[in-house]
Amino acid sequence: MNKTNKRLPLQCPACDAPLNISRLFCEQCNTEVSGSFELPALARLTEKEQLFVIDFIKSSGSLKDMAKSMGVSYPTVRNVLDDLIDKLNTMQTV
Amino acid sequence: MKKLKVRSLLNPFTQIAGYQALGWGVAGIAVSILLSYLSGWHYHGLLHYGPAPNPAWWCFVAEHLIIWLVPAILFYVGGLILSRSRIRIVDILGTVAFAQLPFIGMGLFNFLPPMQYLLKFNADTSPVALLAKPEFLLAVWLSLFSFIFVIWVLYWMFKALQVSCNLKGSRLGILYAIAVLGGDTLCRLLISQCYK
Repeated sequence: MNKTNKRLPLQCPACDAPLNISRLFCEQCNTEVSGSFELPALARLTEKEQLFVIDFIKSSGSLKDMAKSMGVSYPTVRNVLDDLIDKLNTMQTV
Repeated sequence: MKKLKVRSLLNPFTQIAGYQALGWGVAGIAVSILLSYLSGWHYHGLLHYGPAPNPAWWCFVAEHLIIWLVPAILFYVGGLILSRSRIRIVDILGTVAFAQLPFIGMGLFNFLPPMQYLLKFNADTSPVALLAKPEFLLAVWLSLFSFIFVIWVLYWMFKALQVSCNLKGSRLGILYAIAVLGGDTLCRLLISQCYK
């Protein structure tokens, strides 16, 4: 049977507040860790934004190369990056 | 594929900017200058066009350069003040030049006989006599229709500012309004010097 590719929920479906991790589980030895852990900043980005960060690292931070591989203009890539920087800055100040 | 084409038509600057847009834009301006020179239609400002007293070739070149560079410079200065991104002048010059490509359509439109009639009509003719002439009425309707090209240029210029300066919301709206309305006034002022 195919394994379903589940997305990590980032927001509470009831009140839209950011979700925290309360339980971690080791599939190998069945150990469970519980507590309240905040998601790291990169994990709090949307799937699309995370893919952008991965592409950015893979292209050694070259926006020109990224623009070429994504088939978009240079300022479009730069704008996505700048919006991401703003989002990360806001996350870190909250 | 069709969706991508429509998206490119609505906002070409997500695909093209910088030197590539500048190349296409400058080529488009050159074609538009030639069409304006041959048809005799002048640009008095970014939003105004019609007959003018100077038929010299350099006047058409100056008009096109002014309506390209004035809004582009205003976008750049405004972008430096309002944008948090590191903007490039080549993106602004390129996207604004590219945004003016629909002026080629207007240049071709101005070769239509009723539009040529508008260039030659006598301003002293009484309104009643003018309205009695079917060519005049047709020319008025066609000149209203040709405004579509101006709206197209203005829409693309809005997108050019949005992408090249990474502006959104009120900052984008305010800068665009200042650059287009103030730019048009500045263009008219500069271009009027060519008619003296």
